[in-house]
Amino acid sequence: MSTEQKRGVRARESTLVARDLRKSYGEFHAVRGVDFEVYRGECFGFLGPNGAGKTSTMKMIYGAAVPTGGHLKVAGLDVTRHERDVKRRIGVVPQENNLDDDLEVKENLLVYGRYFDLPKKVILRRAEELLDFVQLTDKADAQVEQLSGGMKRRLLIARALINDPEIVVLDEPTTGLDPQARHLVWERLRELAKEGKTLILTTHYMEEAAQLCDRLVIMEGGRIVSQGSPGQLIDEHVSPQVLEFRSRDGSLEKLWALVEADADAVERSGEVLLAYTSDADELLEKVRASGIEVENTVYRQAGLEDVFLRLTGRSLIN
Amino acid sequence: MNAPLRLPSPRGTFRVWQRNMTIFRKYWKTIMFPNFVEPLLYLAALGLGLGAFIQEGGINGGTYVQYIAPGLLASNAMFAASFESTFNTFVKLKIDRIYDAIVTTPVNAEDVVAGEYLWAGTRAALYGTGFLGVLAVLGFTFSPEAPLISSPWALLIPPMLLLIGVMFSVMGTLFTSLIQRIDLYAYYFTLVVTPLFLFSGIFFPVENFPAPVPQIAWFTPLYHAVNVCRELATGPSPIVLVDIAWILAFTLILALLPIRFMRRRLIS
Ligand SMILES: Nc1ncnc2c1ncn2[C@@H]1O[C@H](COP(=O)(O)OP(=O)(O)OP(=O)(O)O)[C@@H](O)[C@H]1O
Ligand SMILES: [Mg+2]
Repeated sequence: MSTEQKRGVRARESTLVARDLRKSYGEFHAVRGVDFEVYRGECFGFLGPNGAGKTSTMKMIYGAAVPTGGHLKVAGLDVTRHERDVKRRIGVVPQENNLDDDLEVKENLLVYGRYFDLPKKVILRRAEELLDFVQLTDKADAQVEQLSGGMKRRLLIARALINDPEIVVLDEPTTGLDPQARHLVWERLRELAKEGKTLILTTHYMEEAAQLCDRLVIMEGGRIVSQGSPGQLIDEHVSPQVLEFRSRDGSLEKLWALVEADADAVERSGEVLLAYTSDADELLEKVRASGIEVENTVYRQAGLEDVFLRLTGRSLIN
Repeated sequence: MNAPLRLPSPRGTFRVWQRNMTIFRKYWKTIMFPNFVEPLLYLAALGLGLGAFIQEGGINGGTYVQYIAPGLLASNAMFAASFESTFNTFVKLKIDRIYDAIVTTPVNAEDVVAGEYLWAGTRAALYGTGFLGVLAVLGFTFSPEAPLISSPWALLIPPMLLLIGVMFSVMGTLFTSLIQRIDLYAYYFTLVVTPLFLFSGIFFPVENFPAPVPQIAWFTPLYHAVNVCRELATGPSPIVLVDIAWILAFTLILALLPIRFMRRRLIS
């Protein structure tokens, strides 16, 4: 606690602390020593390509995986020593749907609530509220199998909240949702944040991260390659303006050689060449003057997607 | 990899049991029917059919139906608990991923396993109690001079069936915790359950076999379960305590192994 206070201005209370956290599956090292700290009441995001180690990290938080090394404190408790107490205080939306197919929609919440030893009255009341919260009230008596993928996802979110957790871990909460459902979930997550819950989420959608997360980390190959607020990450890693050139293979090579000299950075993502610069006009002028054939040019502001591409060398689109 | 020994909590165990009970209560009529009919088929075919060829007084001075009926109570419990801890548990573990969801709550992996033990025992006891009732009624209706259940000690059969069910659940769960594919249960049923069913003194006394058959039988679980049920159905001798002690010891010793293996499968 005292070291926290010495940091002065930034001394916000942290509710989750990972130090040199590691996870290996046999010989394979999925998480290779990560450090991060989540403050109470913030929304903290994990980005990273497939296999980066996001789910492995989430699983260590919610007790489905045991750390192979390092320390992890959740809600102030060591996860290996206080397994049950940690699980009592968190809510979990796993990446893979694991609703109880033998039970109806509402029963899923009732039975799940019993695992937390909540009184029946409390469970019933919360189940009603939560079904309403995720807009599934009219499906309360349906079989889980009859729900669409997006409805199942929303039911998982409701289930994660049945114990009124102080920390909610959401592993890709909106994957597979249509845009409307996604916006509904975002709105709900913002409400939870407003209530003071701490949210920890992984996502492959940059817009989601930018919209929801106060701070985030980008993981790759089991390590954290960068962390900060969305704005900080953009400032730190990419120039503010981006030109996207779309063209056939041959001319992209020539284009690369041309813009490389002036742009701050150049990335290629499939058939698109991305040039990062602080003076897009000048660069565009130069490309026009060169006479290289370009099918399509787009100008835009740099975003998290660009940071991601920069740091992981991979495009999210692929 | 030397994980500390984890004992199940009664609270978590109960929650898992309660989840199964919630589902069972919705479907119990359809679920229980086959389990009910099967032993009656054995009774009819073997007890009455085959029994007609066996001289009266052939086994322990009673009719053949009287001989096999209590043994079928024990094997019925074995089958109920074995199906529960094999196919049903496998589906919950690997296909429906029910346990993955449970272990993220304050209910731990060891509670899940213990809850399933208790549930399999409960199912075995429920089936067995219904079957016991049928046997008692049938016996008194059709042959009051040679009833199938002839001792008030038979009231202790249901709790014993619970214990017997837990024992077979431990065995079935052990197998489940070790396999990756559902077809492998053919091995378990052909090599474990069926031989137990045939050679545990349900249909003929194994004591009359040459050594080492009776000695081997003594080391197998269903043999003791059959003894207990038969003794309680007809009025027990103190020897039954040995059988009960055997069942308790076997169950307790083996129970921790599946807990360990299942934990490893649920928590990476
Ligand atoms: N139980 C396991 N046994 C062996 N390897 C595993 C296991 N779980 C994960 N891995 C491996 O660990 C690495 C990290 O997996 P993880 O699921 O944490 O990635 P992720 O960042 O969540 O990816 P995604 O975005 O695809 O969900 C992968 O290479 C994966 O193959
Ligand atoms: Mg993942």
